[in-house]
Parts: sequence; structure tokens; C-alpha cells
Amino acid sequence: MKTLALIFLLSGFFFITVAALGVIRFPDFYTRLHAAGKGDTLGIALFVIGLAIHNGFNLVSFKLLLIVLFIFLANPIGGHVLSRAAFKSGLKPWTRKGE
Amino acid sequence: MVSDQLLLVFLVALVFIVFLMLYRVLKGPTVFDRLNGLGVIGTDAILILILIGFLEKRVDMYIDIAISYGILGFISLVVIAKYFDGKGDVDQ
Amino acid sequence: MGTKNALTKKAQFKQFVILPAALFIFWIVLSGKTDFKNLVIGLIAACLIPWLCRSVLCLQATTTPGKSYAAFDLPYGKIFVYLLWLFWELVKANIEVALIVLNPKMPINPQVRTFKKTLDHPVAQTVLAKSIILTPGTITIDVEDHVYTIHALTEGAALALAPEEGEGEMPARVGRLFNEEAEVK
Repeated sequence: MKTLALIFLLSGFFFITVAALGVIRFPDFYTRLHAAGKGDTLGIALFVIGLAIHNGFNLVSFKLLLIVLFIFLANPIGGHVLSRAAFKSGLKPWTRKGE
Repeated sequence: MVSDQLLLVFLVALVFIVFLMLYRVLKGPTVFDRLNGLGVIGTDAILILILIGFLEKRVDMYIDIAISYGILGFISLVVIAKYFDGKGDVDQ
Repeated sequence: MGTKNALTKKAQFKQFVILPAALFIFWIVLSGKTDFKNLVIGLIAACLIPWLCRSVLCLQATTTPGKSYAAFDLPYGKIFVYLLWLFWELVKANIEVALIVLNPKMPINPQVRTFKKTLDHPVAQTVLAKSIILTPGTITIDVEDHVYTIHALTEGAALALAPEEGEGEMPARVGRLFNEEAEVK
């Protein structure tokens, strides 16, 4: 059980780091949203599940799972709202041809 | 296997990631990049709060703060994005 | 209310059982207390809130005029299976993004595509738009009149979701998730 928690924590942390690196490295706004929308959702979900396993079975773990559900529902909506606002403002996506 | 020291390491690394995101927030170039960075900071702050709770042995209190912080961050992100809908400054 | 928002009795009944139950469980989890006073207050609030929000919970159909759906009358069993599949897709998407980010050359070829998928249930549209963000290499930019504008990280991802002819796996899955239910009624 302890090993399982450790695996979840480490993989979650790996995806959070990748998301942060992606937000720094990608060339334009839309590609950065790919990193933030996907990497953060899975990373935080795995990390919090790992903490819940580490904590054992009680009310706090249930609340942690509630956070996972909330992140799973809310994070994609946040990304979509941002991309829609940017697209309506006329932000052009970066393309390889334009370089 | 998951000791307090390991959680402390995670906490420090997360704070470092928040500072990395702060670079994106300050650099831009568009207002939506800044908002994206702020959104990532907001979700990472949930984890930081929970980890502080575990280290202080008071998770039951910090987790409520984390939930309300997450909900508030999400709502403010949506409201600000709605405000910039179609009239954000997109000059590179 | 009037005739415009006529829900079937079954859908209305299902909605006003599921929603108070979910709210009541949420109340207990957040308060953490199980004494008599807290439970009674929670029960009253959980029953009152769906009744006060009943006009918001009645969603207009997007194509057939005059028809409306209950917001929480969903095929929950099928949605659970779909969520498991979606989680697996999310893991694949993350591994793909991780490989691209950690590659020093960054092999991306971003592009914008549109595709059309008519879904009558408003919740179905939401589920599809949200699922696109979580699948490998695509995010939804805009949804207007059943036309989805998507931004893809690579050409392969764009073609997997919106092929030149026919439709991708994900729109087909979401269509099956909701349309079959509509025909049975």
C-alpha cells in the first residue's frame, strides 16, 4: 500500500513538472494550453490520489477524492474558456510554415 | 515509505514550479498567457495547501481551505476570461 | 413554466431524487458532523435547492424546438464506463505531451480544424467539448451551431479526431452515449 502511494505521488509529480516545463517551452498560447490543460489535470489527480492512499480510509481521504473530481471537471473548462476568449480576440495560432 | 521528509521535498519542488510559472505570468506575451500561468499556479496552490496540512498534522482544517481555494480560483479564471472575451490585447 | 418546458414525469422524478441525494451526501462530507440538528438542516437545504433552481435545471434541446431535457437525468452507468475510457485516454495524452515537451527538437505541427457533429442534448455537447481537451493532442477552441473548432498539436491528432471522411472515435462514442437513450424514451 505504501509503495502504491509512492508510485502515485511520483508519477503525479512527474506530470506536473512536465506541464510546467511545457508552459515555459511551447512557442505560442494554444500549444501552452495543451500542456496546462492535460498535464495539470492528470498530474494533480494522481498526486491527490496518492496522498489519499497515504492518508488511509477516513473523511479526509473522501474530501481528497472530491478535489480530484472537481479538478477533473473544472480544469478542462478553464482551458476551453481561455482558448475561446483568445480565439475571439483574434490571436493567430503559431504554425510551422509561418516560421 | 512516504515520510514527512519526502513530502517536504515535494512541497519545495512545487514552490519552485510556482516560481517558474511566475516567469510566464510576468513575461506574457499576451494577457491569455498570463491567465494560463495564473491558472496553473492556482491548481498547484491546492497541492501546496494539502501538503502543508500533512506536515502540520492538521489536514482536516487545511483541506477545507484547499477546496474553497480551488473553487474560488476556478470561478475567478472563468469570470476574467469572460471579461476579456473578444477584446483582449493580442499584440505579440 | 408553461408548455415550453414540458419534461416527462419520469425524467422529473429521477432528477428530484438524484440531485437532493447527491447534495445531502455532499453536505455530510463537508460538515463532517452527524448529529440530529446538522442532518435536518442539510436535508431541508438539499430538498429546497433543486426546487428553487428548477427552471435552470430544465435544458432546451439544441435542434428540436420545444423539447427540453432534465439536466441530471443522465445514463449514469454508461457515463461511468465512458469516464474510465476517458481516464485511459488522458493518460495516453499525457505521455504524448510529455514526450513532445522533453524532446529538444519539439516535433510539433499545430493546426486548426473544424468538424460538425449534431448532438441534441446540451449536456452531450458539453461532454464532447470537454473530452476533446483531455484526449491526445487536441483542444476545443469554439463550439457554434454544432461546428467544433479544434486546435491540434500534431497532424495525426487532428486526423484522429476529425478524419477527412466519416467521424472520429470520440464523437461517435459520445453520440452513442446519449442518442440511444433518447430513442428509447
